[in-house]
Amino acid sequence: MRTRIASGLLTAVLAILGLATVFPFVWMVLSAFKSNKEINAPEQTFLPASWTLENFLAIEEKFDFIRLFGNSVFLAVVITAIAIYTSALAGFVIAKYQFRGRGLLFGFTVGTMMIPWAVTIIPRYTMFVDAGLQDNYLSLIIPAAISGFGIFMMRQNMHAVPDEVLEAARIDGASEIRIFHRIVLPMSVNSIAALAIFQFLWVWDDYLWPYLMISDNANQVLAVGLTTFAGQYGTDYGGLFAATTISVLPVIVVYILFQRRFVAGVASAAVK
Amino acid sequence: MTLSLRPRVSKAPPGGTPGISTRRRVRTYPGERALRNTVIIIVAGSLLLLTAYPIGLAFVGSFHYWNPLNGAFDFVGLENYTTLLSSPDFWGSMIRTGFFSAVVIFFRVALGLAIAVAIFSQLTRGKAFFRTIFYMPTVTPLVAVAYVWQMMYNPQTGAINTFLGLDLNWLYDPQLALPSIMAMTIWKDFGYAVILFLAGLHSVPEDALEAASVDGAGAWQRFWRITFPLLAPMTVFVVITSIISYLQAFVQVLVLTKGGPGTATQLISYLIYDKAFVKYDFGYASAAAFVLLIVTALLTLISFRLSVGRKNSLEG
Repeated sequence: MRTRIASGLLTAVLAILGLATVFPFVWMVLSAFKSNKEINAPEQTFLPASWTLENFLAIEEKFDFIRLFGNSVFLAVVITAIAIYTSALAGFVIAKYQFRGRGLLFGFTVGTMMIPWAVTIIPRYTMFVDAGLQDNYLSLIIPAAISGFGIFMMRQNMHAVPDEVLEAARIDGASEIRIFHRIVLPMSVNSIAALAIFQFLWVWDDYLWPYLMISDNANQVLAVGLTTFAGQYGTDYGGLFAATTISVLPVIVVYILFQRRFVAGVASAAVK
Repeated sequence: MTLSLRPRVSKAPPGGTPGISTRRRVRTYPGERALRNTVIIIVAGSLLLLTAYPIGLAFVGSFHYWNPLNGAFDFVGLENYTTLLSSPDFWGSMIRTGFFSAVVIFFRVALGLAIAVAIFSQLTRGKAFFRTIFYMPTVTPLVAVAYVWQMMYNPQTGAINTFLGLDLNWLYDPQLALPSIMAMTIWKDFGYAVILFLAGLHSVPEDALEAASVDGAGAWQRFWRITFPLLAPMTVFVVITSIISYLQAFVQVLVLTKGGPGTATQLISYLIYDKAFVKYDFGYASAAAFVLLIVTALLTLISFRLSVGRKNSLEG
């Protein structure tokens, strides 16, 4: 009896904290379906009094959100794919081969995670402007193609690929690159899932660098678009709720689809 | 469970002469050399071009009057640093950033640990569900959720005043603005700690807890005597990664307050952004960024050293 009360109490406390955690999302989505009149009314209700799509239609008219959304999806997919491949390859080589300078290479790679963006962004800005890469997606893809965090994470997870399995494949005559593609990659799915979400989110969320590099509004990314929209239509709360909903929901959907693998991958990067 | 930031290098004698290899060299597999060299070239090339060279340029630039708008790059010696170190704005931002980081890290770790222990408990129903919920803010884009919080903090129409029956001007009150940003940041990030501590709890050996239980240790004692020390490496990991990321917190300030009211929420990274890309004083901004880099490196090193010392004393 005592344990049942304790169990109920504990679950209730977690449920309250859980409600507080998801509240901003729920409020955001519900508010996106309220008219601006309702949002600004002195009497607030939790659910919309009358559901409306006008915010979504209006922001599309004022601001090319679908286009920006497409740009962000394109960049996030391309960069995530490149970064995962390079991270897995480098992680594999650093974990499984012995060569001189290996510790140094890995040490410096991990060290880059410690460097504040504020240190490198100013010289990188002048470098990319001088190279004529402004308003070119290469300026967004190149700096993200090699990820210190990604290499760190993939190397930590290579213990999930036992040396015996690699040896067996070698005896069967498989080449190293084939072993990487056919054995190492499939055995690293959890870490890849975790890295994929992180990397996707970083690209989706990156604000300052695209803001500095891309001046053409049509090619801009969603994160910068949001701030531009908020700057121009600061009092259009309904529009801003609709815009943030468009920006947040896809990531939540991807997360829920992959969350089991994701959680396993995140955890194994830190525990070893 | 150990936190290893370093690959297990084969056991060469410390201080051994390079060139005279004493380790047993395993044979090179066919195709290994090509793959390895490709990786070395790509990774080392990217490190040199996109990290080492920019750091060098920022360092040199911090001794110059550097403005990209008029192309100026004039040597001024230590002037940027002396201006910086005598500027109350700079010191204010540093102190504010330290306060911000300390509070957010404390709550991230405390909340993360408490919730992880609660979810891990056999008494809790729906573990997977709670795990999904608590992790959700961590995987959502910061720019977007910062706008949602800005609207939640709105004194007239925001959810916080409306549903809690308060009348506070969260983001425009100099006393409340920074704590408001902290609250948002804690909400956004505590889930990461929950997931990591849950993973750590799964690796606590059950027989140790059972043995302690047989010896008459209560739940509270078992937690502080066995579970918590075993979670120490995970705690260190969370603290170090948090130090690095909170010292450069920027987006939430940009969206919620733009550093205001006054300079009440101006964190160091926002100050650098403002100097660099609003005022285009690249030299001054680079000097400030270098001070930030040194502080980050020192704090990371100190936490690491403290944790290693602690671990040794536990094992010794």
